[in-house]
Amino acid sequence: MPNERSARIELPLVLMLVLKRGALLAAVWLVLAGAGGDALLVGLLVVPVATWISLRLLPASGGVRLYRMLLFLPGFLWRSLLGGVDVAWRVFHPALPIRPGWIKEPVNLSDGGKVALGAELSLMPGTLVAGSDGPMLLVHVLDTRQHTADAVHVEEARIATLLAAAPGEPRS
Amino acid sequence: MTEPLTAMLVGLGLVFFLAGTLGLIRLPDTFSRLHALTKADNLGLGFIVLGLALQADDWNVLGKLVLIWAFALIAAGTSAQLVARSALRRKSTPSERQAP
Amino acid sequence: MSGWLTAWLTFAAAIALLALAGALWRVWHGPAPADRMMAAQLVGTGGVAVVLLLAAANDWGMVDVALVLALLAAFAAVAFVKAESSGGRGDPEEESADD
Repeated sequence: MPNERSARIELPLVLMLVLKRGALLAAVWLVLAGAGGDALLVGLLVVPVATWISLRLLPASGGVRLYRMLLFLPGFLWRSLLGGVDVAWRVFHPALPIRPGWIKEPVNLSDGGKVALGAELSLMPGTLVAGSDGPMLLVHVLDTRQHTADAVHVEEARIATLLAAAPGEPRS
Repeated sequence: MTEPLTAMLVGLGLVFFLAGTLGLIRLPDTFSRLHALTKADNLGLGFIVLGLALQADDWNVLGKLVLIWAFALIAAGTSAQLVARSALRRKSTPSERQAP
Repeated sequence: MSGWLTAWLTFAAAIALLALAGALWRVWHGPAPADRMMAAQLVGTGGVAVVLLLAAANDWGMVDVALVLALLAAFAAVAFVKAESSGGRGDPEEESADD
């Protein structure tokens, strides 16, 4: 049933999500301001305010599984390396070997999941996401001779494992 | 000890930056150019940050380098979509443009 | 840091600046507004790289400048999309649903 899950999150879970958000922002503050005495004092004020603003702008729902994210990171970096090498090779090649075109692929993710998938695909070899049309993801392809449609669904499955909320949420 | 490695990584980063610029000039249409910009540019910045991180003298600088790079990566993926979407919208409606 | 590396980093900063100059050509020629925006984004990331290279060569304090530049570059892209869309809401998808 759509959204049943995120609507009925129990209190400890919400608290966990808030703490997670706060810890992340506290880490950013430490990097920005250093661990000196005064900076820590200011941080005691800044971090809660930042956490509050962050929760207002992006309310805690299912969220992202942090440990899965860490597992996901090396592969993501490797594939974005391939993406950069692929486009650089084509650009330096005298004949400019590209065959640009569009594909539309049905994607079964929440709106936030689609944006994450789009961001990821835009860094992968040969794909660039230009938003979605209902459940269809609009993908610009640098070379239509490649099997990009398969790549879209492989990445979709990867993103789905990162999102704590169950897939199959309502689509707009 | 790490200095030759830094020099090499920075050089590699420059190659990708130049690829990004060359792509922006050579590629024939807006969306293809967006490919080059998003992917090559970020990789360039990534290699430069990695190279310079080897020379960072305290954890604070190291943390800032990582933050800059992480931010650039997220921003690139997201803004590429935004710009592509607005360019598409400006040209025509998506359904007309679709050519599988 | 040894002298040759400082020299190389400064030289690299100069090359990165050249790449930015190339991007400016695209800002000039367009043709689509998105082309100009993209080139401006390249100037953003490239600017971050230039500042970082100079920071490593001279003074790590400049890293803060690069951090701010990286943030501003991202906001510039969002501001562009908002300015481009008719209602100023900046969500082309939402608008296409409207009409």
